[in-house]
Amino acid sequence: MNKQVRKHVTEERWHGLGVSDGRVVGRVLRIHNGARQVYRATLDDADVERECRRFRAAVRAARGELLAIKTRAEKELGADHAYIFDAHILMLEDRKLIDEIESFIRLENANAEWAVKVAVDRLLAVYAEIKDDYLRARGSDIEDVSQRIMAALSGDSASYRKLTRDAVIVATDLPPSRVAELDIAHARAFATDAGGWTSHTAIIARGLGIPAVVALRDLHDQARTGDVIIVDARTGDVILHPTEETIASYRALQTTDRPPVSTRLAQAENDAAEPPPTFRTLDGTEIVLRANVELPAEFGNVRKFRARGIGLYRSEFLLTGGGRVPSEEAQCQAYIDVAQSAGDGGATVRLFDLGGDKVGTGTAASERNPALGLRAIRFGLTHGEILRTQVRAILRAAAQVSGLSIVLPMIADAHDVRSARAIINQEMANLEGEGIEARAVPVGAMIEVPSAVWMAGQLAHEVDFFSLGTNDLVQYLLAVDRGNEAVSHWFRSLHPAVLHSIRSALRAAQSAGIPAMVCGEMAATPAYAVMLIGLGATELSMNATAIPRVSRVISGINIDDARTIAGKCLGCPTADDVEEIVRVEYSARWPHLFSPESLPPPKTEE
Amino acid sequence: MIERRIVVTNRLGLHARAAARLVRLASSHEAALRLERLDNHAAADAKSILSVLMLAASRGTELRAIAHGADEHAAINAVCGLFAAGFGEVESEQAG
Repeated sequence: MNKQVRKHVTEERWHGLGVSDGRVVGRVLRIHNGARQVYRATLDDADVERECRRFRAAVRAARGELLAIKTRAEKELGADHAYIFDAHILMLEDRKLIDEIESFIRLENANAEWAVKVAVDRLLAVYAEIKDDYLRARGSDIEDVSQRIMAALSGDSASYRKLTRDAVIVATDLPPSRVAELDIAHARAFATDAGGWTSHTAIIARGLGIPAVVALRDLHDQARTGDVIIVDARTGDVILHPTEETIASYRALQTTDRPPVSTRLAQAENDAAEPPPTFRTLDGTEIVLRANVELPAEFGNVRKFRARGIGLYRSEFLLTGGGRVPSEEAQCQAYIDVAQSAGDGGATVRLFDLGGDKVGTGTAASERNPALGLRAIRFGLTHGEILRTQVRAILRAAAQVSGLSIVLPMIADAHDVRSARAIINQEMANLEGEGIEARAVPVGAMIEVPSAVWMAGQLAHEVDFFSLGTNDLVQYLLAVDRGNEAVSHWFRSLHPAVLHSIRSALRAAQSAGIPAMVCGEMAATPAYAVMLIGLGATELSMNATAIPRVSRVISGINIDDARTIAGKCLGCPTADDVEEIVRVEYSARWPHLFSPESLPPPKTEE
Repeated sequence: MIERRIVVTNRLGLHARAAARLVRLASSHEAALRLERLDNHAAADAKSILSVLMLAASRGTELRAIAHGADEHAAINAVCGLFAAGFGEVESEQAG
């Protein structure tokens, strides 16, 4: 509202958690999504009618915005997620709410902002009494709508749909509903106060291939739209009002980076007609690169970046539309779409990997320790109907398209696998009994819980393939919460314990004769990808946007070198020692492939 | 004025999506449309999404639909059809 012109600006630095790759110099686009301070004003009688008109105009403006958002959301996120905006539009059209606010303005000679606040607070109090968890949560939709009216009243309505070309989105947090209204294809970077590695901001940024830094605490308060800002997702640094020298040094760094996304996309688009290439190391060992996919907006990337199909489809996205589990038919169509965008390489659907908080089952009792709680396959086995619906949809889709497979998330041992397989087999039989076309699919296990690593030898005989989820594996193995900045120093992807775990899971798969694929974020970082290959991986799945840089490195290395280095690292006692070996060996053997800054930095302290 | 009994049959009950469809459909008719729960007599204006959501009608809830106005027959048939079809969660959306 009151934007003060700041005369003297000094460079200010923040350090957060970089959750994607790249760095950008751009201008802040500040997005409101926190509650605003609302004041009570008493109007003269003569001004009351004008205030009502101002309020109605704000509602019209908010409604217009929502209609545009809904159209965009249908296109970019899918119709299943757009319905929530329809509910928001109806709330703005709801006479019950609108009349109450207007009559409050008239009766109390109140300003529109105050009237909106009072009416919404009353409604929220009623909703808070509702017993049904899901419905009670609709209170947040009402809040969302009221904030949109407030924004329209203050005049700073959502003009950020038309992003300038250098827009760096700065927000406290970016929930899906905010992201949906952004022209995300034009955003250059994200910087948010909250969030962690797995927040929506992070996932979307990685999907778009743009830099994102989260956990910046108070950046949103300090930044103003139009401020020059540098976001460096590689280091987690964010610099507001950088000096000319700082900007120059970043621009110099950028020219040594890979080309910007737009160029890469255009280039990739030209190549899209060709079939996915075979990526080989210098000695001819084939390394299969697949794509991790979540948003429908990313489907096109599979072909653009020439991935061999989809190694990991995070089906949770189907549930982000407000807690509703999509019907069997809707899911079936979604899986057909996924398989079709994957092409001949096929698509592996990970069953819903989340807990009760994300699904409107009405059972979302808060857990003290959700990462160790009722989530992923445990949630599916407990809420059989959700699991069964998903399984049926996949089996039905498999009858229509080839290449689908299922991977079971958070498997702890063979018991989890057997329980899940029993349900899959039952549903296969049920579908046959019902005369519905269906086809059995390969079933794999995510190896991401330490017990599954220990039991990998036995597990390998119970499933058709392994999928190593390195994000969760590191978190569970080292007992470090990835989103918790206080312990971020303990989150070490190159910890020797992680390397040993990956190697033993890969070996177990190999001796049982089943395929194994590494599909965590590690695979997307060239230095780590080489380590994974050295440990025995021949199939990697990553964000499609990372494929060009990973494949470039793969085609420049000898597998024996990678194995030798990995072997040395396995003998290290600490992550620091591993990183030191990686830094020294990589830069000695492959200086043309790894710039110093693409490698772990030398340890200066501790 | 006519009334009819209906049961919420779709799995998630009158949640945001279903409520949005109901309100769109009800609003396309001139007749006033009221929904009353048979168990606790909570009532809602079917043209107000906030009111419909506050019914908190989950699966299996029995309701009385009351239409009053020029096109009350068409209105009640349309609304009952929507409930019977499980709110298009199985397909087939009525034009709102």
